[in-house]
Amino acid sequence: MNLDKAGALRMKTSTAKSGLSRQTKDSITGLLMVFPSFLLLVFIVILPISLAVRESLLDPNGALSLANYKYLFTDKAMKNNIIFTLNLTVVSTVITLILGYILAIYLRFSKGRISEWIRKLYFIPMFIPAVIATYGIINMYGNHGWLARIVLALGGDSFPRFIYDYNGLLLANLWFNIPFTAMLLSSALAGIPNSLIESARDVGAGKLNLFTKFIVPMTYKTVLVAATFSFMGIIGSFTAPFLIGPNAPQVLGIAMQQSFSIYHDVGIASAMAVFMFLLCSAMGYFYIRSMVKEEPAGR
Amino acid sequence: MGWYVRSLGKRKIIEFMVLLLFVFFFLGPLLNLTLLAFSGKWQFPAMLPQVWSLEWWSFVLTQEEVLSSISLSFGIATIVTIASIVICIPAAYAFARIRFPLSRWFLFSFLLTNAFPKMGLYVSIAVLFYQVGLMNTLLGVVLIHIVNTLMFMTWIPAAAFKSIHLAQEESARDVGAGPFRVFWHVTLPMALPGILVASIFTFLSSLDEAQGTFLVGIPDFKTMPLVMYSIVEDYPSTAGAVFSIIMTLPTIVLLLAARRFVNADVMSSGFQMK
Repeated sequence: MNLDKAGALRMKTSTAKSGLSRQTKDSITGLLMVFPSFLLLVFIVILPISLAVRESLLDPNGALSLANYKYLFTDKAMKNNIIFTLNLTVVSTVITLILGYILAIYLRFSKGRISEWIRKLYFIPMFIPAVIATYGIINMYGNHGWLARIVLALGGDSFPRFIYDYNGLLLANLWFNIPFTAMLLSSALAGIPNSLIESARDVGAGKLNLFTKFIVPMTYKTVLVAATFSFMGIIGSFTAPFLIGPNAPQVLGIAMQQSFSIYHDVGIASAMAVFMFLLCSAMGYFYIRSMVKEEPAGR
Repeated sequence: MGWYVRSLGKRKIIEFMVLLLFVFFFLGPLLNLTLLAFSGKWQFPAMLPQVWSLEWWSFVLTQEEVLSSISLSFGIATIVTIASIVICIPAAYAFARIRFPLSRWFLFSFLLTNAFPKMGLYVSIAVLFYQVGLMNTLLGVVLIHIVNTLMFMTWIPAAAFKSIHLAQEESARDVGAGPFRVFWHVTLPMALPGILVASIFTFLSSLDEAQGTFLVGIPDFKTMPLVMYSIVEDYPSTAGAVFSIIMTLPTIVLLLAARRFVNADVMSSGFQMK
């Protein structure tokens, strides 16, 4: 009898909105619900991005030109900045992925009090403000920092200059990005059922075989997701390079801010931003493609 | 000691080394700040402070600028979180449940907030805000904070809505509940962990935001991270450490309060919409 009532209700609702088919109605509702956030996206993201793209294509006289981009790739200091940033970004992303993967595998397959503790603690860096973390890194690894004191107390003689250059930035990038990568991957690894792994072991698969034949194929898409977000976060990073980065060559985020607020050269600053945007878009393209492929067409 | 180590076995020892390395690398900088904040005198090369003291706490907590920045930051973060929820949750629900044209296209357009370098985006936004008179206004600051929250406030709840089986909503409808009652009593409680995690992300990212606030909020909106920058430059590291703890405290409290919900699956599902 409940079913009858529900059926009657459905009839009522579907005839009440006269004329419109269910599909059209859904389309309108869906678009209306997405509209406010998309409008906001247009105003605070898409419009500013288009402004920056336009600005990067204008020369000081307001004429259309590629002069800003030419400068970007011919000026020696700028070229060094680009190479420095790309090198740092790629190396940081790759090491982040490797260490994040190892951490995730450890958390997936190790049972015990120690792994339980790490499981509780590894989220923390994701939520720590960037300024605080960088400040902590300065106080830890600086010339008279905690590590230097520990090394001295343990009998070492001098502590090498460690932060304020490439290594310091690499360290900061790893600190910020490994937890996120490990989180994504450990969730993906949790999706691999124990029974599958056990049955693979039963038919004689060794650890290496298990890893390359089962674990890697089942997680490589997640690796791509982690790579995308790490890459995007690292290439445009600002806080850590601002506080512990070298003066030259600089990370592009800093170079961009300087050419804007010190040299008031909006064109060059925009060209740098657009250049980084293009690289991130390439990553984003592969990410979206792999996400869309997962689901058959229709959505 | 030797017999004890041997009885533990090689595996346990390696695991213990992993834990040490982990704690040292990820928590070392934070532990160091905590020690620093409670030290009165800590001269090189001592490994631990020579004198413990709370004097920097009373110094920092009596600075007018610090106190006003704390209440300002919390106020802004609350507004940003509520605004993000109101704006993004309907969209998240639509992405998960309703078929409409270009839905994939809209969904992935939110990736743009992360693809364009933040500093460049803030500069362009500042140029735009200047033209429409949003510089140095609360609305301007809130909007620039929402730039960072749009994506996960849409994606994580969308994944949470999507993970609820349609059958559960349908059975509630079948017993006669209207769409809003179904949403309120069935869908929302089940999607709550995702919404909660996204809200925590939003709240904390608003507390953390510095560059955008600096560009559009100066001189009236000096939030906690901006005060932190000036403390880093002007005061001894003890003062910075004290303020670091004050700034990190809400993070720890929120994470502890919501620790039941903050787990890898809820968060990572938002980044891979299936």
